[in-house]
Amino acid sequence: MNRLARLAISDEGFIFDPETGNSYTTNSTGVFILNLLKSGADEDEIVKALVEEYGVDEEEARRDLYDFLEQLRVYRLID
Amino acid sequence: MSVKVAVSGINAVDNPGPGVGIAKGIKESGMDVEIYGLAYDSMEPGIYMRWLFKRAFMMPYPSVGEDVFIERLLYIKAHHGLDVLVPALDAELPLVIKAADRLKEAGIHTFLPTYEQFKLRAKDRLPEVAERIGVKVPKTFVVSSYEGLVKATNELGFPVMIKGIFYKAKKAFNAAEATTHFNAIVSEWGYPVIVQEVISGEEMNVVGLGDGEGGHFGLVAIKKLWITSLGKIWTGVTVRNENLLNATERFVRELRWRGGFEFECIVKDDEIYLIEINPRFPAWVYFSAGVGVNLPARLMKAALGMEAERDWDYEAGKLYIRYTDDFVADMEVFQNVVVKGEV
Amino acid sequence: MAKRYEKPVIHRLQMGMMNKFGFASPFGARVRKHIDGVAIDELVERFGSPLFVFSERRLRQKFREVKNAFTLRYPNVEFSWSYKTNYLDAIAAILHDEGATAEVVSEFEYEKARRLGVPGEQIIYNGPYKPIDSLRVAVKEGARINIDTFEEIADLEQVADELGIRPKVAIRVNMDTGIHPRWSRFGFNYENGQAWDAVKRIAMGGKLDLVGLHCHMGTFILKPEAYEIEVKKLVDLAYRIEDEYDFKIEYIDVGGGFPSRNRLKGIYLPPDVAVPPIDEYAERITTALLSSLRPGDYPKLILESGRAIVDESGFLITTVHASKRLPDGRRGYVLDAGVNILFTAFWYHFNVEIDREVQGAAEPCILYGPLCMNIDVVDDRAYLPPLPRGTRLILSPVGAYNVTQWMQFIRYRPAVVLVGEDGKVELIREAESLEDIVRRERLPERLKLKG
Repeated sequence: MNRLARLAISDEGFIFDPETGNSYTTNSTGVFILNLLKSGADEDEIVKALVEEYGVDEEEARRDLYDFLEQLRVYRLID
Repeated sequence: MSVKVAVSGINAVDNPGPGVGIAKGIKESGMDVEIYGLAYDSMEPGIYMRWLFKRAFMMPYPSVGEDVFIERLLYIKAHHGLDVLVPALDAELPLVIKAADRLKEAGIHTFLPTYEQFKLRAKDRLPEVAERIGVKVPKTFVVSSYEGLVKATNELGFPVMIKGIFYKAKKAFNAAEATTHFNAIVSEWGYPVIVQEVISGEEMNVVGLGDGEGGHFGLVAIKKLWITSLGKIWTGVTVRNENLLNATERFVRELRWRGGFEFECIVKDDEIYLIEINPRFPAWVYFSAGVGVNLPARLMKAALGMEAERDWDYEAGKLYIRYTDDFVADMEVFQNVVVKGEV
Repeated sequence: MAKRYEKPVIHRLQMGMMNKFGFASPFGARVRKHIDGVAIDELVERFGSPLFVFSERRLRQKFREVKNAFTLRYPNVEFSWSYKTNYLDAIAAILHDEGATAEVVSEFEYEKARRLGVPGEQIIYNGPYKPIDSLRVAVKEGARINIDTFEEIADLEQVADELGIRPKVAIRVNMDTGIHPRWSRFGFNYENGQAWDAVKRIAMGGKLDLVGLHCHMGTFILKPEAYEIEVKKLVDLAYRIEDEYDFKIEYIDVGGGFPSRNRLKGIYLPPDVAVPPIDEYAERITTALLSSLRPGDYPKLILESGRAIVDESGFLITTVHASKRLPDGRRGYVLDAGVNILFTAFWYHFNVEIDREVQGAAEPCILYGPLCMNIDVVDDRAYLPPLPRGTRLILSPVGAYNVTQWMQFIRYRPAVVLVGEDGKVELIREAESLEDIVRRERLPERLKLKG
C-alpha cells in the first residue's frame, strides 16, 4: 500500500508517480477511493464510504471497487 | 481585436508536421494574431511552445466522425474565439474540405482546395494531372500480384521504386529486393502496389498558394540538399528553375488550385517529372516566409477575405537550415492538456 | 444529497496514445432511447434480447432516395432487389411494393421470390451455379437469366430444345475498372476476349436471344469513377454485338456494390467523409451512358443495389451480460449477441449507442459475443463509459447480410421486428426454438437413450 503514499494526486484526477515517471488519470470516484486507500482504509470501509458518499448500492460499490483494485494491481500501484 | 488562428500538425518531431512552420509564418504577418495549436497527442511539442501557441487544444481524431470534430472546433470558437482554421495534416483535409461551408457559417474561415482538386492529387491520378499540365511522370505500373511485379520490373529494369498506394516508397536494385519491399508494403498497406521507374535528376520542390481562380499568391522553389533517414528535408536551397516554376504555374492555372500545396518533382535536363502533389503546405513552409514570400500569412489573409500580397521575387541561393533544439516545460501544462484537453 | 456516482477508473498515459478524446466522442457515448419513436425498453420487453429491429420508414426513404438519384437522370431504370442482402419476406415485400423487381442467385431465392408473388419475368437470375432444373423453371416462367459460364450456355440450349422456347439471356462480364480486388471469377472476362467468345458462342448456337449485358464489379466500392469505366465498356460491347450479330441489347445491368454509411475496417476516414453520396454514383453512371449511347437509344439500366438500400434501416439491440477486466487493463463486455448473428462484424465497426445516460469517461473496451469461441468479437476497439450490467447497446447499421448470413450455432436466432411507418411494431420473424432445429433430425430407434 505504501506505493500509493508517494503519488501526487490532484483533485482533478491527474496522478504523477515521481519514482517511475508514469502519469495516470482517474475520475472523481477514483480520487475518492485512492485517498481512502492512502489513509489506510480497508475494503469494507471503502465500500461503506462509497455507499454513504454516493448513495450507490453496496453490491455495485463492491463490484466496482474490486474492478478498480484490479486496475491498480495491473499498474503495480498496489500489491 | 486580434485575429485568432488555429493550426494543426504541431508535432515538430523527427517526422515533423507543418504546423510549427505555419505558425512562425503567421506570427511574422505583421497583423495582430493569436495562434492556437491543435494536437492529437498530449506530447506534441507545439503544445509546450507557449511563445508561439497562445493556447493548445486536443482534437478528436478525424476518423471519429465529422460531427464530433466540428463540435470541438465550435467549442473552441465559443469559448476562446476562432477566426481562421489552417488544417495541416492529410488525414484532416477531406473532412475539413467537406465541412468548410458549415465552418464558414459559424465564422471559422478556411482556404482550401475543393474536394475534386483534393482527389486529383491521389497517386493514381497523377498521370492525368501531368498530361493536363504538360509534364512527365515516371513510368508507372499499378500491380496487385507477383506476376504483375515481375512484369513491371521486366519492363522497367532496375533500379525501380516500389510504393504503397498511400505511403512508403522504397528503391529496389534487384529482383530479390523488389520482392522484399513488395511483401513489406503489401503487409502494411495492402494492394495495389505502385512500381515506378527511377528518374535520376535533381529533386526539386515548389511550395505555393493558389487563389482558386487560376492565379497564385507566390511560389518558392527549392532543392533539397540533405535529407534525414526518414526522407525529410534537413538543409535546402532556393532555386529559380524557370521550367519548374512555369510547370507549377500551369498546374495552378489548369486546376484552378485553391490553398496551399507542395509540388514535388524531379528535374532532368529540360524535362519535369511529377512525383507527388501534397494538398497542403509542407513542413519546410517557413522557408518561404524567410525569403520574403510569407505564404502562411498570405493564406490567413486570403481566408479572411483580405487582399493578400502576390509578389514572389525571392532570391535564389538562400539556405534553409533545420536544427535540433530543446527546452524545459512544466508538468502543469501536461496535466492540463491531459485532464482538460486544453491549456 | 449524494454526489453523482461514476464507476471508478484509472488509466496510465501512454506515449503516442495521449489523446483525451482519442477515438471517442468528447460528449460520451451516444444515447438512443428509441427507434422511430418506439422505446428500446418496450421492444426488449415484448420481444426479448437480442433483437433485430427494422425501420420501414428508413427503408422506404432510402429506396426512394437511391431510385430518384437514377430516375431523375435517365429515362429507363429498373431496380432489382438483391435478395441475398436481405430476403426476409417483409423486407422484400416492402421493396417490391416500392417497385423493385427481384434479383436472385440461387433456386432457393428464386422459389422464395415466386412464393412471395413475384412473377417470373420480374426476376433476374444470377450466379455461378444454376442447376439445370432451376433453369427449366426460370426459362418456362420467363425470368431473365445472366449467364456465368460456357457450360451454362450449353445447359440453356438444352432447356430451349426441351421446352421449344427461345430464352432471353444476358451474359455476365468481368473487367478491369481500376478497382481492387477484381472479381474475375464471375462471368466472362472483357479484356482477354472471353466475353466476345461467349457472344460468338451464343450466336453460333442460334437458340438463345442475347438481350442484355451484366457486370457486378464487387462490393462496398468507394470509387464512383469505376462505374463510369464499367458502363463505357459495357456500352461499347453492346454496340459491337448489335453491329456484328442480329441481337438487340435491351438492358445493361451494372450490378450493385454501392457502399452504405458503415465503418469499414481498414478505412481510416469516417463514413460521412469516405463514402461518396449516391448522387455521385448516379451522375457517373448516367453521364457515361448518355455520352456513349447512340442517339435515341435508351436501353434499360438495371441496378441491383442491396446494401446501400437496406443496411441503414436495420438495428440490433443487445444487452450487457457481464464485464471483466482483461490482463492488459482493458475492459471486456460479454453481450448476448455475437458473430453468430452479426456476420458483418468481421468487416465493420458498427455505430454503438447505449440506451441510457451513463456517467464516466469513455475507455477503450472490447465487445465479446456469447459464443464459447475466441473469434466471437463484435468490436475490438469500442470506446464506452463503464457500463452496468443490463445496459442495452444498439448496433447499427446491420440491415444488410446479417439476417441472411447468420448461423444457428450453439444459440437460437433471435426475433426480427419491423417498426411500421405508423409506429406500430410487428413481428416479422419469430425467435427460433428447439423445435425449429430438431424438426429435420431423425434419431435411429436403436440409439435412443434408455430412460
